[in-house]
Amino acid sequence: MSLLEIKNLSVRFGDANAVPVVDGLDLTVERGEVLAIVGESGSGKSVTMMALMGLVDAPGIVRADALRFDGHDMLSLSKRQRRQVVGKDLAMIFQDPMTALNPSYTVGFQIEEVLRAHLGLSGRAARARALELLQKVEIPAAASRLDAYPHQLSGGMSQRVAIAMAIAAEPKLLIADEPTTALDVTIQAQIMELLLALQKDQDMGLILITHDLAVVAETAQRVCVMYAGQAVEVGHVPQLFDAPAHPYSEALLAAIPEHSEGAERLSTLPGIVPGRYDRPHGCLLSPRCPYVQENCRQHRPALDPKAQSLARCFYPRNQEVA
Amino acid sequence: MTTQAQPVAADQSLLYPSPLKEFWKAFARNKGAVAGLMFMIVVVFCALFAPWVAPFDPSEQFRDALLTPPSWAEGGQLQYLLGTDELGRDLLSRLIHGARLSLLIGLSSVVMSLIPGIFMGLIAGFFPRILGPSIMRLMDIMLALPSLLLAVAIVAILGAGLINTVIAIAVVSLPSYVRLTRAAVMGELNRDYVTAAKLAGASLPRLMFVTVLPNCLAPLIVQATLSFSSAILDAAALGFLGLGVQPPTPEWGTMLASARDYIERAWWVVSLPGLTILLSVLAINLMGDGLRDALDPKLKNAI
Amino acid sequence: MSVVLTARELTRHYEVSQGVFKPHATVRALNGVSFELEAGKTLAVVGESGCGKSTLARQLTLIEEPSSGSLKIAGQEVAGASKEQRKQLRRDVQMVFQSPYASLNPRQKIGDQLAEPLLINTSLSRAERREKVQAMMQQVGLRPEHYQRYPHMFSGGQRQRIALARAMMLQPKVLVADEPTSALDVSIQAQVLNLFMDMQQQYQTAYVFISHNLAVVRHVADDVLVMYLGRPAEMGPKEDLYHNPLHPYTQALLSATPTIKPNPDKPRIKIAGELPNPLNPPSGCPFHKRCPYATEKCVTDVPAFRPVGTRQVACHYAEQFLKP
Repeated sequence: MSLLEIKNLSVRFGDANAVPVVDGLDLTVERGEVLAIVGESGSGKSVTMMALMGLVDAPGIVRADALRFDGHDMLSLSKRQRRQVVGKDLAMIFQDPMTALNPSYTVGFQIEEVLRAHLGLSGRAARARALELLQKVEIPAAASRLDAYPHQLSGGMSQRVAIAMAIAAEPKLLIADEPTTALDVTIQAQIMELLLALQKDQDMGLILITHDLAVVAETAQRVCVMYAGQAVEVGHVPQLFDAPAHPYSEALLAAIPEHSEGAERLSTLPGIVPGRYDRPHGCLLSPRCPYVQENCRQHRPALDPKAQSLARCFYPRNQEVA
Repeated sequence: MTTQAQPVAADQSLLYPSPLKEFWKAFARNKGAVAGLMFMIVVVFCALFAPWVAPFDPSEQFRDALLTPPSWAEGGQLQYLLGTDELGRDLLSRLIHGARLSLLIGLSSVVMSLIPGIFMGLIAGFFPRILGPSIMRLMDIMLALPSLLLAVAIVAILGAGLINTVIAIAVVSLPSYVRLTRAAVMGELNRDYVTAAKLAGASLPRLMFVTVLPNCLAPLIVQATLSFSSAILDAAALGFLGLGVQPPTPEWGTMLASARDYIERAWWVVSLPGLTILLSVLAINLMGDGLRDALDPKLKNAI
Repeated sequence: MSVVLTARELTRHYEVSQGVFKPHATVRALNGVSFELEAGKTLAVVGESGCGKSTLARQLTLIEEPSSGSLKIAGQEVAGASKEQRKQLRRDVQMVFQSPYASLNPRQKIGDQLAEPLLINTSLSRAERREKVQAMMQQVGLRPEHYQRYPHMFSGGQRQRIALARAMMLQPKVLVADEPTSALDVSIQAQVLNLFMDMQQQYQTAYVFISHNLAVVRHVADDVLVMYLGRPAEMGPKEDLYHNPLHPYTQALLSATPTIKPNPDKPRIKIAGELPNPLNPPSGCPFHKRCPYATEKCVTDVPAFRPVGTRQVACHYAEQFLKP
């Protein structure tokens, strides 16, 4: 049984007829696996995870055929039951570490709060474990940092604290939503290494949400590419990067400066992601796709197995298996 | 070599209404605000067309109809819809003419404190080293004194009357505008678009009034609305104390004061002006709430 | 090619108060940066937060005066310039900012914002200004009806186009771009970068392109300047720097940058720790605390920024990294 199983997830804001922000998403994550969810703004990647954690409030409507985590049916949990799972077995770290920590409380207090809520530790035991956690995330001079306030820490440090809080209860699945976008390159490398080391050490599943394909190439095993609320391609990392099936994946890869070494101009897709009011009748990429055919404009493709991955396209690219 | 940049697809900006329409849509969502607006429209109408709307002249005394109850009460007469006061003057006419005065007081005191307030706030924000703190300390001193007492003191010095009432109220409301403006200015000065304007070579006056000020207006507009209602209250209080507008000028607060002795005998002479003050202040405050809700999200959208 | 900007030993210190009873501390945000810019070329300034690149941007765009050092734009010395000369200098240097959301005035129509530089600096008539604005708008891919719109009606990518259009209205000799595409999605970034390159081709503007994204820098730059804690670490032609970085910090930056085709055999240069406190910079070489090759000399002697091969490097041992 997979650690995480999502079937046909859709999230709408407004009424049942509103355009979905996430549309018919299927995802699985196994124990100990690193899955990356890649997409640009408006792709629905963050909302997906919020829906999983039960953080989508009205006017958001979350519907799914299945939303199962570690055997629990997340859709039918009561608020109390959800609180016992989220934060303990299912944890999340966010993009901006400076705002993810409560500025009015010390770092030690915040970590101890997690330990108190989920592991029932208190007093000296909690403090000792908090210290251990800070050392595990490689914060120098951990003992003195316990009494520091978030504004006294740098971005990299704050993110480490956030990671410490997330792994405090030894979660089975950790969701990292753009954890290093706000950080410098060398700090980013340190944090990613830390996350991977912790993931291996605790055999956690890791979902990495990012828009940075290079980070995905270096850390993930599987990747799901999202566009305008749909999963357009799901595959294994090296294969998808070497031979992307969906034109959008291909375009994303082509747009990276690395791929245009020497060329004067970067290859781009014209236009922008469809908003709420101009959804195409057929395939969502059809207005921009360089390989579009009449069929694409009329019908919406399903996510089907292709040569090396699942892709949502009638005319997938790179189908000749190497 | 001609440069042909990427054309922008599907023009979504065509779907955007004008800023005024957007504002109205947001404002109209707040039922209380719209109700307040409706009421104030009636009041403004009365104020503008008082001589034609009011059935009688407000100072005309009907000796044979002193203290007549309102038309729906026992003993009332239809021609004096809301009754008459102790000197036989028609209450409805006096209230309608009073609207003129209250609105005048509200408007002029707001304008008289808003304009210097914005100026001083801008200067305090743009010159934060010496000029700014000096201005703010002055405002702090003014804020330390209870506003009504300060108003009373000013009127006591200058003498009673309409103009001095307006001056007193304007002085008392000045510090809040200065503080608001300065806070908004300081917040905006750090933003990139101000730097961009400096880079384009904008002079200091241009920076102040064209670049920064329009972005500070939202909280000021809301504060102005609320000051309007408290100006009416302050004028009424001063009038009640006998320091503001003098009788026989029909000002709502003065009407309250002169009717003090008749509370038991003729409740309408006191309650009706009081009710009018209450409803006007409520309407303006509701409008102010609606304004704030309508203006703030737009500000946030722009961030 | 003509030189449009010459910077010599640009330095900028800030006084920071440490409270009532302690003396003021000095933050050396920028410490001796020198370079030359030629028309139509791009110098990329690379470094992490706290390296001084934003301070450098402020010195170059004349928002602040350097504490010492000289700056010459289009042949005109900045220090001691008369009011008239300063006005001309204003027109010669412009800037594009990082955040597309903060760099446009939310309460001004974009047409008016584009016309403002012309209004302030030229004596063109209203009709002439409008014509120029429309021409520029078309160049950056906006439609004529967008003149009347407010910034919040545009996407991030469109706003950066507007910001670029505004900066280019006066056809400046130098454009300082402070992380112009960091806040944009990958595909939008590609569109905007292409636009930047096209504009440079057309107007032969010199760019100072500040970024922490080494992949983007490799695409746009001609020369690269790597900064650390306010000092230049390495500077030179792009390809030489990328193929054969001489300064350990440059090596670490390149190593830390994730790449699409990760090479498992390439050794990962790990640098531990974080940027030191600028109020209390380390003695000697500012990088010595994190440098894997630091020696005694690095702790005591500040390395000079000196020519090594085709580049300039501030490292005592730069030669040993030089590939034949």
